[in-house]
Amino acid sequence: MSVATLASTPDELPSIPWLLAGLALLAVVIVTLAVRPQLFISNLVGGLVYGMILMMIALGLSLILGLLGVVNFAHGALFMLGAYGAYQTVALFELPFWLALVVVPIGVGLLGVLMEVTVLRRLYGEDPLIGLLATFGVALMLEEATRAQWGGTPLSFDPPAVLRASVQVGFLEIATTRLFTAAVGALVVGGLYVLMYRTDFGLSIRAGLQDQQMAEFLGIDIPKRFTIVFFIGAAIAGLSGVLRGAEVGMDLGMGMDFVILAFVVIVVGGLGSIFGSVVSALLIGVAVFVTPVMLRAATTVAGLEWLYVSGIGGLMPFLVMIGVLLVRPRGLFGEEGLLE
Amino acid sequence: MTDTSSDDATEAERVTDDATDPASVTGPGTDHESLDPTEAALGARGLTKRFGELTAVGGVDLAVPEGELRAIIGPNGAGKTTFFNVLTNALEPTAGAVYLHGEEITGTPQYARPHDGLVRSFQSNQLFTEQTVHENVRIVAQTAEQGAFSLDLLGRGRDLATERAHEVLELTELDDLAEETAKNLSHGDQRRLGIAMALATDPSVLLLDEPTSGLGAVETETTADLIEDIQSELGLTLLLIEHDMNIVLSRSDRITVLHRGEVLTTGTPEEIRNDDAVQEAYLGERDEEGSL
Amino acid sequence: MSDATEPTADGRDRLLASISRYQVPIGILLLVGLLRPVIAHDALLGSSYIASSMLIWMLFAAAFNLLYGYSGLLSFGHAIFLGTGIYGVAIGLRHFDLPYLVAAPIGVIVAGLIAYGIARLIVGYGEIYFAMLTLAFAEAIHFVVNADPFGLTGGADGLRSGTTPGWIESFRGQSVVQLGGGEFDLYYFVAIVFVLATLALWQIVRSPFGRTLVAIRDNEELARAMGISTARYQVWAFTLSGIFSAIAGTLLVIRNSGASLENFGMMTGAEVILMSIFGGMSYFFGPIAGAFSWFFAREYLTNLEMVAVPLLGTVDVGPILGYWRFFFGFLFVVVIVLSPREGLWGFVRSIADRVRRRLTEVIRE
Repeated sequence: MSVATLASTPDELPSIPWLLAGLALLAVVIVTLAVRPQLFISNLVGGLVYGMILMMIALGLSLILGLLGVVNFAHGALFMLGAYGAYQTVALFELPFWLALVVVPIGVGLLGVLMEVTVLRRLYGEDPLIGLLATFGVALMLEEATRAQWGGTPLSFDPPAVLRASVQVGFLEIATTRLFTAAVGALVVGGLYVLMYRTDFGLSIRAGLQDQQMAEFLGIDIPKRFTIVFFIGAAIAGLSGVLRGAEVGMDLGMGMDFVILAFVVIVVGGLGSIFGSVVSALLIGVAVFVTPVMLRAATTVAGLEWLYVSGIGGLMPFLVMIGVLLVRPRGLFGEEGLLE
Repeated sequence: MTDTSSDDATEAERVTDDATDPASVTGPGTDHESLDPTEAALGARGLTKRFGELTAVGGVDLAVPEGELRAIIGPNGAGKTTFFNVLTNALEPTAGAVYLHGEEITGTPQYARPHDGLVRSFQSNQLFTEQTVHENVRIVAQTAEQGAFSLDLLGRGRDLATERAHEVLELTELDDLAEETAKNLSHGDQRRLGIAMALATDPSVLLLDEPTSGLGAVETETTADLIEDIQSELGLTLLLIEHDMNIVLSRSDRITVLHRGEVLTTGTPEEIRNDDAVQEAYLGERDEEGSL
Repeated sequence: MSDATEPTADGRDRLLASISRYQVPIGILLLVGLLRPVIAHDALLGSSYIASSMLIWMLFAAAFNLLYGYSGLLSFGHAIFLGTGIYGVAIGLRHFDLPYLVAAPIGVIVAGLIAYGIARLIVGYGEIYFAMLTLAFAEAIHFVVNADPFGLTGGADGLRSGTTPGWIESFRGQSVVQLGGGEFDLYYFVAIVFVLATLALWQIVRSPFGRTLVAIRDNEELARAMGISTARYQVWAFTLSGIFSAIAGTLLVIRNSGASLENFGMMTGAEVILMSIFGGMSYFFGPIAGAFSWFFAREYLTNLEMVAVPLLGTVDVGPILGYWRFFFGFLFVVVIVLSPREGLWGFVRSIADRVRRRLTEVIRE
């Protein structure tokens, strides 16, 4: 589409402006490390963990997007329900957190299947915007239902003692929730990779992606497999919700916030690239957490405090996205033709 | 026009035989084309399109002289439609150059091509389905009139385009159906509307992608007559992808045979009919289609 | 005899033809004239309180539909433009002491520039990505407004005091315009702007520019092959849609007596989508009908406390209807799944068509 404005940038050696920008960034990192080493490192870790959550949501979203051609707007709402589900289990039913970690994702996954069967299945092959709008309507319903059930004020629950502790790594103290989240995220990515690339199931899914008619001709029940994939995507969203709820609590806005961020992650990473999503999720996560520290340090050292923008962190995903769109319209690892 | 155009072609051949351009001896198919691409109405040099590993169009050279009706034939999957797509920049070519009346237009955007005089019709019926026949043609005429973009919010350009649309509809014998919604037309009329829309851009070079596909024997002949009439009346240069061998052999001035994305040969209908390589390329096909 | 009757028949035909040609302007004038008295009727809302809000949102929805209905591009970020119109006036009046008639055009122009810039950046992406990217921009701008840059926007508190033009007198939620000694309800000021703006939108839709937009929506590939620079048309559709949304914003700031952060919020952009599609994006009046039913449903349902249900007696429905958005969302999903382009207005029209056909049959007999 519009070749003139969106021609792909060829891979070249970094030109001088890029080199300078890189050096400037390096200088700021060194300055920050010198001024506030502890804060920098701990925010780096925080950013990576935040990136892990983003990554899990983005992977579920892009799995469904790649397979079914639908941006599942309700994906964020499922994530939110994961958090509220954990709250219900732990704080209201007073059951163990570990139970919630298993049961809630399954429940959210089943809800996703219900959604797929009742709404989305009718819309495959239609204008993709219709699917987007339908899931958007579902997202609003889920949000409103959540408000009715749990109220509009932010909530939180106490995770088990193990996750409230912290571990000493060198001079750094890392909360165990963060380590746990990172570990689960890594497991999910690894599991998804194995499932999609090392099993017959994954092969049949990818065959369906390539040529649905051919796959059906070979006797593969594509609709059923799509439902399974939808279950997996929704369950991952629920799982990330449980983890996020344990770390920082929950509110009604988190669903929309995170589905937008997850989409930003997909666009930055490049559509259709799992590897790209992983890289960009971590990049954006780190940018959100580290930029404020770096900016603070740099402006303090340079004596230009007025340059410090409060709340720059939350803006970072969008700044990164705009930058990437300007320089590399197809995203960091996007393939030609996927956007057009 | 067809009676005289073969003379044009021979004259064109004579001209280029004198001017032996070294640049024209590069690609594999070059020796079949007697004219330098830069001197033709429509020319291509080394035009290539790859999709990853697959080469759909591989180094095609083409030079269609002014006023010629050139047919492009070849077995299914020979890359004919892809060739049209790269000629019009619907797909960006991987390599090579496109020339229109001697000027290189390789990098210009797709939407700029019709304004330079190069336009194509589609193999499948591509229409503005929800609008009337007249409106389909009028929008194209309006675009030809006002340029690729015009922020005309007051409708000053409307009347001129309306007139032009009527002319084109008369020419293509669609004027009786002008107020019909495009999606309600018969298949044959939709095909004709596709041609009418291409004509509304006021082209000098027209690319037609299987204008008779899906038509019955009678309709096929009428369409072929229509195309010939239009060509002679408007003095167009025509490039025609066609499966119906009767039409190709009886109506075209010269024929280019594509095979696996490359030019197998180019020649008059007589030469092509007797070409062994062409017979061979079609052998696999003949059982299925029996078209040659 | 026949000579005498024929011209009249001819004249009537011509009248009918011109009525159908000017259906939209006539409809707009009827709407503006009837809206206030009709909803004030006791059987309906019993108050004209929300009439001007309705008109403003109708304009917003019609502006939104210029983009979605007529050019096929979906924007989740239209709150950006409504909000820019609102904040343009609020900031101009409060911080720079500008008169309303200066601040409002500035707000509209700034909104147009923002729209143009965003569109240039994202118009080349496929429709789904375009939609999601508008959302990302909306989120980013919401963030900026929330951060209260240079103390201009007031952050989460919004801007209240000093944002109402001097010629507006507010009393018990009723706003009155005072001009040259006379005074009239704010509704009529809103109505004048509404009529002018919707007429302009109508003109855009039927202009060569608008017809080309529809062609691009129908078949983008063909449009490009026929020499239409589709990207530039889409950029301008987005820009114009943003400009008219901002005009709605410059009215809403008076109606709401100030700017609040939620004007830029996700829900604002979501509501205009819900209204427009529920109303029927294929028609000029579809989104307008959608905005009407949205406000009507909200007022009507949230005021409803007790409902008499046969066999069960009266039921206290207040608590359930407090979550009326859930039901609207449900209806929305039903509309999307069953007939995404027709909506309420398409339904009304099909009924009207059936009635008309029945009537002509009866008359003929």
